[in-house]
Amino acid sequence: MSHGPSAPAQAHGGAHAHHVPYVPVFTDGSARLKELKDIISRYPDKRAALLPALWMVQQERGWISEDAMREVGDQLGCTAAYVKGVVTFYTMYHQHPVGKHFIQVCTTSPCLCAGADDVVKAFLEHTGCKELGLTSPDGKYTVIEVECLGACGFATPVQINEDYVESVTPEKVPGILAGLK
Amino acid sequence: MMKDEGGKMVNLTIEGRAVSVPEGTTILEAAKTAGVLVPHYCYHPGLPVAGVCRMCLVEVEKAPKLAPSCATTVGEGQVVHVYSEKALEARKGVLELLLINHPLDCPLCDPAGECELQDYTFQEGRADSRYHEPKRFNPVEDFGGDVLYVTNRCILCTRCVRFMEDVHEDAVLCVSERGDRATIGKAPDADLTQPWAANVIDLCPVGALVSKDFLNKARAWELDRTASVCTGCSQGCNNVLETRDNVVVRMKPRSNEDVNHFYLCDAGRLDYRWMNRPDRAEVPKIRLHDVLSPVDWDIAIQEVGGRMKGKRAYVVASPRLSNEALFLLKRIVKQTGGEGVFRCATGPEAPLPGVKDLSLRADRAPNVRGAELLGFKRNDADPLAGLKDGDVLVLADESLGGLDLSAAKKASAIIVIGTTLVDGITPAVVLPIANVAEEEGTFTNLRGRVQRFLQAKTAPGLARPSWYALADLATALGVPSDDMHLPSTIFTALAKSEPAFTGLSYDTIGLRGGLVAGATAGAH
Repeated sequence: MSHGPSAPAQAHGGAHAHHVPYVPVFTDGSARLKELKDIISRYPDKRAALLPALWMVQQERGWISEDAMREVGDQLGCTAAYVKGVVTFYTMYHQHPVGKHFIQVCTTSPCLCAGADDVVKAFLEHTGCKELGLTSPDGKYTVIEVECLGACGFATPVQINEDYVESVTPEKVPGILAGLK
Repeated sequence: MMKDEGGKMVNLTIEGRAVSVPEGTTILEAAKTAGVLVPHYCYHPGLPVAGVCRMCLVEVEKAPKLAPSCATTVGEGQVVHVYSEKALEARKGVLELLLINHPLDCPLCDPAGECELQDYTFQEGRADSRYHEPKRFNPVEDFGGDVLYVTNRCILCTRCVRFMEDVHEDAVLCVSERGDRATIGKAPDADLTQPWAANVIDLCPVGALVSKDFLNKARAWELDRTASVCTGCSQGCNNVLETRDNVVVRMKPRSNEDVNHFYLCDAGRLDYRWMNRPDRAEVPKIRLHDVLSPVDWDIAIQEVGGRMKGKRAYVVASPRLSNEALFLLKRIVKQTGGEGVFRCATGPEAPLPGVKDLSLRADRAPNVRGAELLGFKRNDADPLAGLKDGDVLVLADESLGGLDLSAAKKASAIIVIGTTLVDGITPAVVLPIANVAEEEGTFTNLRGRVQRFLQAKTAPGLARPSWYALADLATALGVPSDDMHLPSTIFTALAKSEPAFTGLSYDTIGLRGGLVAGATAGAH
């Protein structure tokens, strides 16, 4: 349970704590609401906009809280339980706060052969995360393992937020982290 | 489900038996009419078909692959094999996979003995497992209300999810996560405290959703089960009283399409402890030298007869009494030229949205309609208002709780016919009677359905069934009632003399109930 983006950030806590009041994303007149309404207009059923709506929430808030599930449910005319079912089904939606830089290291067979395990270790050490799925004390990093990123020719690939870094070796890790803004 | 009685009939063969069912019937339901129960988990007649468990796979001749019988409708001339080698092999595989992560903790699991996973595994599963890896573990979760979710035992049939969504129409449950991590999830901050939520416990085919109230109380096979009727309100939901060692330990719904389908509300199902209360009136008593003294039943009955001679009987009866008891009380009232009244506690209604005409009713007693049909006048605020000087006040299972009792002083004597003594009054005679779990009788629900309840446990001490005590009393007062030596004969007499009940008898109403004259069938 503790090896994935779904794991609660217990040990280190996180920069974003649960008690911070939730700020709605789709407020009246906001650009996000306009964007959502545009997406809704393309489908016969409002619920069809559920996945993009959740992406918007994650981009704005970094993760999808229970309050966010309620907000999205209200926007799309479905229950919070239905939204929760979808959020938990997909591993790429974060159910807990993650670091500013979300680092996903590919550890599927070819990368594993190319030494992905050591890359993972290096990231855990240099970010201060210590354990997979946990967030570093400064709130900047979360490291997880992922299945094939589809870049086997450039083992080991690492996805940091939306960007790929290819042919990563343990030695390159400090430099990569230093380059993150 | 058989929907359209007038529709086209389809003929097919199931396990070698010819059956004829309406078009659109599923193979699973058709098999029931042939006396064959196809093993299943996700299918439930009260819920939308999901087809997720794959346990009801059957072989249909000429079909390319096995068919889920819950989601396949019958076809003319189909030949269905439920127990063919191919079907058995497939279901054995389903069971093996269901048990991969199941903790097999039957010895400490409440539903053991009434668990469909246990039953079908015993019936057609593998004797051992080929899975030797560690099992997935998830902690037990409190779902709120009376419901505890034991995640590890869950087979994800989604009956609970569909019940909350489609029947309760308050979708607070979902399937959370996916694949081998999937569990039943609860909406943020939601609790299963909705008025009918605990039905998910009965719907759960395994031990995943268990009752906190019943937790570790008894093993299923130790229980005696008695068909009864819930006394919580005037809906008259059919139930089963489950007893162990003469103690009611659980109340479960009993299916009746005309009243409560498969359901029982939380308020009803958890309201059974009073049936076991130990502070009961156990011995007939009469007042001698200002002291209530225990006496024989005959002497107590004679004493009532003496007190009532030439007096009006003012009967305050409980709408929790059976039709039989109320009928005998009515005779006593008539004989003495008296009056019969009742009062009824009320509360907010709580309907189950997905089922027509099913609700926790405002009147919180099972026989309000029966009392009215038998001529008792309702006066919730002041049932003693009609009491006249010199009347004999008869309190029949009515404790007058919360009322100003000064009016009772007008009575020349007070007779208590009840399960307990009554606080604040000085009775001349106490006749101890059995409560609903301890006697047999009928109630008339708010739609006019007369329904039988049976005896689940024995009454304490010398307490007698209400119909027994009242038949003796009526006889002593000169109303010939001594031919009434069974609840069924009393009901026969009732049906003969009360026009509303014409044509009804224990035989005709059976355990599904029968309607009084002028009543229209309720829920369908």
